[in-house]
Amino acid sequence: MMDFAIWIENLGLFSDIRGSAYEYPILLALHLVGIAFAGGLILITDLRLLGWAFGGHSVASVVNALRWPKRLGFVWVGGCGFLLAMSKAEGYFLNGAFQIKMTLLFLVVVHALVFRPTVYNKPEELDKAPELPGRAKLAATLSLLLWIGILSAGRAIGYLNAPNGLHYTQLLHTILTLGRG
Amino acid sequence: MLIENPVNTFAIVFPILEILHIAGFAVAIGSVAAVDFRILGYGLQQQTPSQIAKATGFWMLGGLVLAIFSGFGLYSSDPDMYYLNWSFIIKMIVLVTAIVLNYTIHRKIAQTDSTTGGAKAVAVISLVLWAAVIFGGIFIAFVMGGL
Repeated sequence: MMDFAIWIENLGLFSDIRGSAYEYPILLALHLVGIAFAGGLILITDLRLLGWAFGGHSVASVVNALRWPKRLGFVWVGGCGFLLAMSKAEGYFLNGAFQIKMTLLFLVVVHALVFRPTVYNKPEELDKAPELPGRAKLAATLSLLLWIGILSAGRAIGYLNAPNGLHYTQLLHTILTLGRG
Repeated sequence: MLIENPVNTFAIVFPILEILHIAGFAVAIGSVAAVDFRILGYGLQQQTPSQIAKATGFWMLGGLVLAIFSGFGLYSSDPDMYYLNWSFIIKMIVLVTAIVLNYTIHRKIAQTDSTTGGAKAVAVISLVLWAAVIFGGIFIAFVMGGL
């Protein structure tokens, strides 16, 4: 696995990103611009599913219109994130926060598979219900929690840049150590 | 008596403030971007710009307040480094410009539901300014040395 990581990060494109003074921060900034733009779309979808915003508008009018923009946002943010991670593949693969972030991203896929058939693919049915069904609110709540977790784990990556990497089981220990100053 | 800044006493405080800062600006800028993309003809189609602005106004302001206050906390960890950092200075100038634009011209354009060339230009300027604020923030950490 580590040989693979070292091979990846030494590919021309990725070693360029690592070696350049500006490419890495520019990609990081583009990653965050995407997070802000696409994050707003996820927030709007979830707020509508919770009934906290756009109450006067149908669930379908919000969910359907934002599907493709969210996918594009995901490709943008994921694309930048992929380039960032691969440029320092060895460090990232060994980084506990990165491992947690990837696990949470996998759970986002699971979340989509679980809730698509009953929520995201059936917004018209949600509109017909007398009030928002519990499954819509559950989908929105889990989505918000997952993305907050991904954001937090993403920021934590920079703090766990131990030379030999850090296994996720060491994360709690590190947080407790940080807490003691 | 010297009172220690808790941001510097507990190492965990700074990353927590950073996470709140990112979450806050993502909510705020994401809300503005939804209005701007609508003016440009993308994203939400069945809602007018004014309806989107009204529905997200609370979240825009809440996110902005969270980002600004967590930003004060981050700044307090090392004020000398920040105010001498050219990326930070540019960020502050662009940020103030973006906030003023948002609550003046941008608000007016959104309220009239205008999608003329002028309105689209304002939407593009708004998106560019907010993206520039994020760039300014990221580059603080990558700019060694100050002015």
